[in-house]
Amino acid sequence: MVKRAWQNWLARRLPRDHQVQLNQRRIFILPSGYGVLYLVVALLLFLGGVNYENNLILALCFLMVSLFVMGILHTFRNLSGLTLRAGAARNGFVGGHGGLAVVLVSQGQPHRSVWLSWPGQDAQEVSLETGEEKAVWLNLALPRRGPVRPHRLRVESRYPLGLLRAWSLVALEHHCLAWPRPREDAPSPWDGSGGSGGTGRHGSEAFQGLRAYVLGDSLRQVDWKGYARGRGMNTKLFDAEEGERLWLGYDRLEGLPEEQRLALLCHWVLLLSEAGQPFGLRLPAMELAPGSGDEHRLRALDLLALHGNEGGQR
Amino acid sequence: MARLYQVPSHARPWLTAAILAISLPQLLRGPFWQVLLLLAILLWRALMDRQRAPLPGRWIRVLLLLGTVGGIYLSFGRLIGPEAGTALITSLFALKYLELVGRRDAYVLIIIGYFVCATILLFQQGFFVFLYVCLCLLLLTASLVGIHYNDSQARSRQHLGKAAVLLLQAVPLAVVLFVLVPRLPPLWNVHTDQSQARTGMSDTMAPGQVSNLAESSAIAFRVQFDGEVPPYRQRYWRGLTYSWFDGRTWSQARPDDWGDELTFYSGRGTPPLWYRDLLERASDRPYWGYQVIMAPSQRRWLYALNTPVPEFDGLVLARDRHLVATEPVTGNFRYRVRSYTGVPLTEPLASDQRALMLSLPEQGFPRARELAGQWRRQYQDDSALVSAALDWFGNEPFHYTLSPPAVGPDVVDGFLFNTRRGFCEHYASSFVVLMRAAGIPARVVGGYQGGEANPMGRHLLIRQYDAHAWAEVWLPGRGWVEVDPTAAVAPERVELGLRGSLSQAGEARLPGDGIGRLPVLFQLRQWADLLEFRWQSWVLGYDLERQNQWLSRWLGAVTPWRLAMLLLTLAALLVLVTALVMFRGRGPRSATPLTREYRRLARGLSRRGVRGAERLSAAQLCERIARRWPAAETPARTWREAFERLAYQQDTAPSIGALRTLRRQRRRLLKACR
Repeated sequence: MVKRAWQNWLARRLPRDHQVQLNQRRIFILPSGYGVLYLVVALLLFLGGVNYENNLILALCFLMVSLFVMGILHTFRNLSGLTLRAGAARNGFVGGHGGLAVVLVSQGQPHRSVWLSWPGQDAQEVSLETGEEKAVWLNLALPRRGPVRPHRLRVESRYPLGLLRAWSLVALEHHCLAWPRPREDAPSPWDGSGGSGGTGRHGSEAFQGLRAYVLGDSLRQVDWKGYARGRGMNTKLFDAEEGERLWLGYDRLEGLPEEQRLALLCHWVLLLSEAGQPFGLRLPAMELAPGSGDEHRLRALDLLALHGNEGGQR
Repeated sequence: MARLYQVPSHARPWLTAAILAISLPQLLRGPFWQVLLLLAILLWRALMDRQRAPLPGRWIRVLLLLGTVGGIYLSFGRLIGPEAGTALITSLFALKYLELVGRRDAYVLIIIGYFVCATILLFQQGFFVFLYVCLCLLLLTASLVGIHYNDSQARSRQHLGKAAVLLLQAVPLAVVLFVLVPRLPPLWNVHTDQSQARTGMSDTMAPGQVSNLAESSAIAFRVQFDGEVPPYRQRYWRGLTYSWFDGRTWSQARPDDWGDELTFYSGRGTPPLWYRDLLERASDRPYWGYQVIMAPSQRRWLYALNTPVPEFDGLVLARDRHLVATEPVTGNFRYRVRSYTGVPLTEPLASDQRALMLSLPEQGFPRARELAGQWRRQYQDDSALVSAALDWFGNEPFHYTLSPPAVGPDVVDGFLFNTRRGFCEHYASSFVVLMRAAGIPARVVGGYQGGEANPMGRHLLIRQYDAHAWAEVWLPGRGWVEVDPTAAVAPERVELGLRGSLSQAGEARLPGDGIGRLPVLFQLRQWADLLEFRWQSWVLGYDLERQNQWLSRWLGAVTPWRLAMLLLTLAALLVLVTALVMFRGRGPRSATPLTREYRRLARGLSRRGVRGAERLSAAQLCERIARRWPAAETPARTWREAFERLAYQQDTAPSIGALRTLRRQRRRLLKACR
């Protein structure tokens, strides 16, 4: 009940966004445990000063208290103005970890010893100087298939005195995709007139020529001999005939539960990509034209992850 | 075991310095083994930090702890009480540094450090001591900042700067708190250790006692006059009177039947006869009004010019016109006195008092008695006899010296007829003996004479070396009259003070002498004295009463409600102002360093008559410059190239070096535009 109210309040105050700049509405500040100890020491000094009628001990006590008060301002300022932006995502398989980058941008002032963490995780510490921009990768556990959004990110800082902690709970608009975990113990879902197995096929295709290597091309199709001769990095092009295209189809796996179908498809995507075999992917709602290479593989995996999620998220 | 925590190397110097600085006052005061202990700890820790030594094992730590506690007990004979307690906590604080195994320990160490800082102030409260404690605070805060900032970019200097900023910002609020937070009366009774060395006059006077004081330049008390400062030769600060002589030592005494109620008046109850008589005679006499701040002496004697009428507040007036505090003076004690001058005190001398003031030991000093008898036969009149005695001291070859030779068994005869070299107590003592032998009631007075006037404030500084002893004789019709036999021997003692008289006599150097006489240093010393004086009266003496007095001037009636409101308002105001200064110009100043650099150039050009430069591109701007000042074409091009190179490099922010170059080129360009 209370928790729900707190979450609602947070959602109003700190709505999910692609970019969040921390300001007084978004930063909370309270004494840390050491801050309480410090105040206890100040109180002891006050009692001592009163009892010994020692004005200087009282003065020292007041100085400590004022230092604490100024510490509030400085601790607040250390976070204030910090901009957090959703960065790139590193997707992963269900049960493993993905990664999300949070980009911190400092404008006009340094932000020192800022700790970033998701609930239940060890914090990562980062310091920014004026005008600096840093990306911090945070691991995210992927418990189930599909887009996984992290909880609110805790941004905390105790700099400079450590007597106070200022924190904010930031919800950034970003997510990781959890690919299905691959499975292999079932019929092959491929569908192509070539009909042969999935491995070692590239030799049988007609060699078409070379083009300059582009990031994402499979390394297996690089013309390594030419590269060794100093002709630069080129990718060999093969002409897969229309009839020989390989299609991985969701509907070819009838009778299996949805997640198992996806797990199998995932296995084959990985297998075929490993082999450098071009393939296409047909899902009920989407289709990926045949292709090959790392980028193609990732796109296929992402489609599998997004299956059933195409409209909204989660 | 988990990896040993190490204080970040950039924070370590501050932490080490803080521990040293905080321990230093205790090391100077305490037993020597504490110095060795601290050095050993610092050395071991330094080795640990360089991986050259292991963390001391549990047994070693327990042994060190027990050894420290035992050592304190052996050195001080106890574990509680301010001295022993401070020594203990200082050493334990240092020991804690040795067993720093996690960041948590570092925090605890530093926060305890704030407490240890305060113990320094238990013993010393001068202005400079407080500054020193503030320095310790700065070092501690810098360490706190340092252990907090774990980054390879962190630099030691940054921490100190941050700590200094924090502390400076904290000062105004601390001042407000100091002035406005109500001073509570002590919650429970504490007394500083009685075993502290007592300084100042003592309740007995034996040869050599006052001259011992002459070697100390410690401050005895300070006096602030309401009006003019009396001339040097009138500054006789009476402390106590000695009436009983056992042949060697003078001590305080009063006739047997004088009870406390007859001897002392505390300002409460019906005043005794002698006090009413005193007030009556003193009325419409001129007086010096002043305030005395007594330094801690651990004794009850207070000092005032003759004839004092004090404001009764923690002190009593004795019948022989000296002041006594109701408690030993352990802190700075402040009291106000009016001293009436030329009050004729014809109080008759009661017979038992007269007997006391004439008493002499049965045996001893035959030659002095003989001389007194000879004077008695010669002079009928008492005051004539006193003058004759003073003349005798002046004419015989007496010598005023701080280091008199040993006198022998008979201190009076030996001094008067053999050595003839002595300090004021010798003169006062033997003079009173002579007077009593001649039948004139007399007593020795102990106190201070003189005092250094500070021209910047109307105050006097009386140091221990101003300690003095003189005599009082009772003359019919005039009452007690002050006589200073030292003045007959060495008039300059009374005119110039001890320093003046001794330097004329070519005596040995006194503490603080020599450099204290260079004009510049003398000036500096006077400023320092004034500072200490103000510090004493404004800061140390800011008690409940003064707080009320001061606040009622601003608030009218001082009610808790008004006080709380004022405190909160002022505190909030200060925090607000600080916040405004800190966050000033933060919002729109998202301009990059390059944009700012461009604006600076545009401002410089607009001063030279090129308007609207900010709206132009770098290329247009340079074109206009070249048209207007052909000579500036080359620097303009150089600048533009540098600027554009920085502006169009996409990925990285311009480095500081590049920006500095750009700034230099802007200056050169602006210089060429003329």
